[in-house]
Amino acid sequence: MRGRGLKIRMPSIGNDLVKQDFSPPNMDDIQRWMAAAFDLATEALENGEVPVGCLMVYRNEVLGKGGNEVNDTKNATRHAEMVAFDHVVEWCCSRDLNLNQVCAQTTLYVTVEPCIMCSSALRLLNIPLIVYGCRNERFGGCGSVLSIASDDELLTGSSFKCISGYQAEEAVEMLKRFYKQENPNAPKCKVRKV
Amino acid sequence: MEPLPKRRKGMDEGVDSWEVHPILSDEQSHDIKLVEAFAAPIINKKETSRLLKDLATTYPLPGLQHIKRVRARKSDKHPHPLEVVICLVDGAPEVKDSKEVSLTTLLPSESFNSSGLGEPFTVKIPAHPSLTRPQFEQASVHWPTTFHEDKQVTAALRGQLFTAAQKAKMHKYMMTAIRAAKAGQEQGMVPVGAVMVDPASDQILATAHDCARGTHPLLHAVMVCIDLVAHGQGGGAYDFDPFPACQFTVPDRQPVEGSSDSVAPGSTQEQRGEPYLCTGYDLYVTREPCIMCAMSLLHSRIGRVFYGTTTRDGALGTRYKIHTQKELNHHFEVYRGVTQHLCEDLAEEPH
Ligand SMILES: [Zn+2]
Ligand SMILES: [Zn+2]
Repeated sequence: MRGRGLKIRMPSIGNDLVKQDFSPPNMDDIQRWMAAAFDLATEALENGEVPVGCLMVYRNEVLGKGGNEVNDTKNATRHAEMVAFDHVVEWCCSRDLNLNQVCAQTTLYVTVEPCIMCSSALRLLNIPLIVYGCRNERFGGCGSVLSIASDDELLTGSSFKCISGYQAEEAVEMLKRFYKQENPNAPKCKVRKV
Repeated sequence: MEPLPKRRKGMDEGVDSWEVHPILSDEQSHDIKLVEAFAAPIINKKETSRLLKDLATTYPLPGLQHIKRVRARKSDKHPHPLEVVICLVDGAPEVKDSKEVSLTTLLPSESFNSSGLGEPFTVKIPAHPSLTRPQFEQASVHWPTTFHEDKQVTAALRGQLFTAAQKAKMHKYMMTAIRAAKAGQEQGMVPVGAVMVDPASDQILATAHDCARGTHPLLHAVMVCIDLVAHGQGGGAYDFDPFPACQFTVPDRQPVEGSSDSVAPGSTQEQRGEPYLCTGYDLYVTREPCIMCAMSLLHSRIGRVFYGTTTRDGALGTRYKIHTQKELNHHFEVYRGVTQHLCEDLAEEPH
């Protein structure tokens, strides 16, 4: 059952978010979108990629989703979040919408704490809020290694809030299974585009 | 009439106009820290070796293995040519005022034979081992220490790590990055350029410029360059056809002889001698990468990064030092200053 192991820390959502007409997600939203993110992580695992899945949700609509595609693209920056960001950019572009305005009302749901790279990208996109599962002890940018999410001295982009701990144990278990069965540095042959 | 430029501009600015500066970790670049200790002169030299042995048992000084316990005083001002560290002020028993300490409080006569030692005094000694020669020289002013010198770091700090021929190559690669930055600027982009080089073959594998403005806000020059390298390896995620200055080359580094047959299927690309991501490559970028780009380079296993000029929120020296971050699983060398003036001349705009 998806709702198991619910340990969530809710941040106080500041007035700045309310001003931008941003309604933070309720528990039902979180359960629904995180379930979808875990499905994407499972898919990535089946494709021999690091099991991380994510969704970008804007006004109850999924604008982007992604799983890790590093091996498939031979590009180490193709994390689930970066794949999903591309979808949001395309979505805005095709509708001639202002990316900044859309991002300011978009929430990222991701199974694992974003790495330092993805956290920095979230700042650059001005995403106000993310919901994530387990900590990323190796590369985490929302507190585990560096605190890019909340660094007030950074002038680049804007800081964002985190709701953490959703199904953290399940997310950790998937990562453990992945790192146990294979060398993360060993790219597999293309699986997806056959 | 145009005002005269402050210095020569353009392609004629030569290799001698810039210097390479290594970007070391905070531990390597900060001033040494000092701790207060009690020391005493050795007034009877014949007791030296016994005193050292007994002191090592009574006050072993854990964590201060770099401290040489005895120092020689050569000048005529010091009546006694040898002085010895007894203990840290923090580690001394019942000392209320360090200026009024006596030998018997530090070394009670019932447990320690202090004959041969003079009256103690306080001294500042280096708290940590020196990592660089400047730190070692700073430390030596206070108290002698051991030093395991990294010759490469010393040479880098003296500006002697790279030969004139190597600097000429760096100059050439950065000029390519600058030309790419200008080509991007002509298409309305922020003028930042990047070039990926395989130092083993001196081959330029990718040339990129910033493509962020108006297209995709995350396509900084470094991100473009990494994806172009992926294109050269049969991957890649983006289409750079609208930007003709963004180019890639398929690497012609040959697999190690016989390895492709002898290694079992499922072995890594590296084991098969094929290029893997940016492993061992050099990146030349006109200005210091942001956090996202610096971490992308780390994920890509970059070998070395050379940049021209620093940036406000830069992550390879200015705001963070991603390349020396202890918790991260890959570290790489970073150098600043390659064609610095030319890189500074590229229009500065908020990014
Ligand atoms: Zn990431
Ligand atoms: Zn960047």
